[in-house]
Amino acid sequence: MSSRDPLLPNAMIVARREYGERVRSRLFHVSTVLLATLAVLVAFAPLFVRILDHGTVTRVAVVADSPELSGRTIGILDSILNGTLAGDDARAPFRVDAASDRAASLAALGDTIDSVIVAARGPGGRLSFEFHVGETIGDDRLQQLSIGAFGVAVLDYSANNPSGAFQMPDVQLLRTGNTGEGAALGVADYAGRRIVGIVFVFIIFLTIVIYGMWVAAGVVTEKTSRVMELMISAASARQLVVGKVLGIGLAGLTQYGTILVAAIAALAVEDRLAHVLLGPGSSLTPSFQGLTPGLLLMYAGYFVLGFTLYALVYAAAGSLVSRAEDLQVIALPLSLVAIGGYLLSILALTGGTTWFIRLASLIPFWSPFVMLPRLTLGRVETWEVAVSIGLLVGAICATYVVAVRIYGAGVLLYGQRPGLRALVAAARTSR
Amino acid sequence: MPEAHDGGRKGGNPVGYVRVAQLGPGGEPKGNSTSGPSGHAAGRPGEPILPRMSLVIDSVTKRFASTVALDRLSFEVPRGQVFGFLGANGAGKTTTMRIALGVLRADSGAIYWNGSPSEALPRRTWGYLPEERGLYPRMTVIEQLVFFGGLYGVPKDVAAREARAWLARFRVPDFADRRADELSKGNQQKIQFLAAILHDPEVLLMDEPFTGLDPVNVALLREAFLELRDRGKTLIFSTHQMEAAEAMCESVAIVDRGRVVVGGTLAEVKRSTGRRMVILGIAGDHQLRWIADVPGARVIRPGIERSQVELDDGVEPDALLAAALARGLRVTHFEIADPSLEQVFIDHVGRPMDEDVTLAPVASTGDRRSGDTAQRPATSPRADGPAA
Repeated sequence: MSSRDPLLPNAMIVARREYGERVRSRLFHVSTVLLATLAVLVAFAPLFVRILDHGTVTRVAVVADSPELSGRTIGILDSILNGTLAGDDARAPFRVDAASDRAASLAALGDTIDSVIVAARGPGGRLSFEFHVGETIGDDRLQQLSIGAFGVAVLDYSANNPSGAFQMPDVQLLRTGNTGEGAALGVADYAGRRIVGIVFVFIIFLTIVIYGMWVAAGVVTEKTSRVMELMISAASARQLVVGKVLGIGLAGLTQYGTILVAAIAALAVEDRLAHVLLGPGSSLTPSFQGLTPGLLLMYAGYFVLGFTLYALVYAAAGSLVSRAEDLQVIALPLSLVAIGGYLLSILALTGGTTWFIRLASLIPFWSPFVMLPRLTLGRVETWEVAVSIGLLVGAICATYVVAVRIYGAGVLLYGQRPGLRALVAAARTSR
Repeated sequence: MPEAHDGGRKGGNPVGYVRVAQLGPGGEPKGNSTSGPSGHAAGRPGEPILPRMSLVIDSVTKRFASTVALDRLSFEVPRGQVFGFLGANGAGKTTTMRIALGVLRADSGAIYWNGSPSEALPRRTWGYLPEERGLYPRMTVIEQLVFFGGLYGVPKDVAAREARAWLARFRVPDFADRRADELSKGNQQKIQFLAAILHDPEVLLMDEPFTGLDPVNVALLREAFLELRDRGKTLIFSTHQMEAAEAMCESVAIVDRGRVVVGGTLAEVKRSTGRRMVILGIAGDHQLRWIADVPGARVIRPGIERSQVELDDGVEPDALLAAALARGLRVTHFEIADPSLEQVFIDHVGRPMDEDVTLAPVASTGDRRSGDTAQRPATSPRADGPAA
């Protein structure tokens, strides 16, 4: 049959029809707008958090090796953070207090204290600051604290040692909590990438499941409208399956692209919007700073591969039912697999990289969901990506062979419950 | 589209080319035989089929689970003929067509067109009008026709031009830009017919093409059939409407439970029962009681104007006419006729075609569903292959 029916041009003709029908449909327009709105909302989440967070006070404890340094640090930080940079807000965003007991202060970190600054003067008069921060401090405030520390160093220099050269303060950032394995990321970078990861995992999950269902529903519609009888005599099962997956996949990619542009635009203007809404000094770390071209390519690649895998299964599933009502039943197991992958990806975004997450990011039906957040957070070995993509491609090839066979037989099945035995019998009788 | 070539159609297709699997007394096929002078030697499966301008169904067997849909089905259709494939639901008509199209695979046997096995033929060889009609509901008529033409390799502009020409011929030129779901069933059926012929296939397989059409559209479709035949196309249609077959076909095959019961030219098939019929009309007498007194003659289908009278072998029609005249009756109609295909079917199969015996075996499961499933033949619990 394959010699009689080359894949092209019929697969392309079928794909073009599928693409046109989807992209012109109202459902497509509505869902694009809806998903783009959702993506923008998720992208804006840090901004919303900031707005809600606007009234909170960051409590800073300063531990210094001399009362003089302590007093100077507190005074300067207070004036810089609460005066000049934070605008004329009635409530001061920072409360800077002196603390004598370093250990006690560190113990209270994340509880009654958001940040502990350990200030010390080195032998050459050089200042050093250790920033101990917990989970309760945002990246932007941390940035302001660093600027404040720099200010302390400048003013300290002008007060003490105007004749010598200015010595940059030695600033060390120590975040409590697990940052996982692999290359440690800067705190701000990590948070920014997490937002990007959440946005994209969300989009990739929704689109794969939605477009996969489109494929299945398209097959069922062709069966119920009986146009399938014309189709299966005009083109081979291979051409029909590939055309359908390709056409709907491209329609999905169109929607995906639209949503992506909206989300990236939202992330890009977020910083400026924060300035407008929260005043100067409330700058947000640009969330997409982790968004390299390579990462975007990975997103596109995993989307295409993931969609292809799921769509092939959905096409075969759709060919087995003859009524739209039955579709949900047969598609449920597959949706559950996808949901499992989504949950794992959230786990990968929030928790550490456990062995289970690492394994899941290699398993074909989960890797598109789980590998993406891992890649976004930059904790992946090259061989892991290679194995994951290799397994994914292998799974697609195997699924393709089986799906085309099931499809060829399934589309002629009417009026029976889709059972394994009926399926096997039909697959054997089809050509 | 290339204009049809007519070469060879009229050349050398003598009577009696349809091979039939003739049944022996026990109902077992005696083997494939050729009836008539031109019968060629492709009698038994496995023997090489000589290149021939014809469609050969060669001993095709197909099972669905425990049901035998086709049982060594064999017949031959010469190129350029209109051929009627007659049988009740479940006789195997659709399965045969699907095997020819390559949608299903035969368990054994093969189908050849002009000497090439069907698997080796390009898809555009065939035009197929399925029994279950369907189009893409939201596409316009012209979009669908261009789409289906495209799948068969017809360039867009050619397909659009051909489609518009055919729509005009079917007296519905304004349908071109209407969506399929805006059309009536009968009109959708016409569009489907166009989808089947737009790529100018050599063989047209049509499953119950007249079902659901009003008389005007039946006439239009018949005209189209004849035109295609005159262009040299081979048309095969299945039907359980014997009148349509009698009006259209040059040859027919009657199938029952996956076997050809009788096949040949229309005249041959009608004479295959050995019945001799007279259609008789007598002014003022529709009961024709007097015929009981004519030896070897009996009324088998009484009517008001005309009745069908069957004559035994050796009884000449003249004798009937003479008997009527001798009684002083005024004869308004006297016609020596062949039995109807319906009668031929009953004679060969032993029951009327409408009697759907094939549904019986599965009724015991009590699981016949409503809706579209109910009309599927229940003989096929696994796939609806034997729907014919």
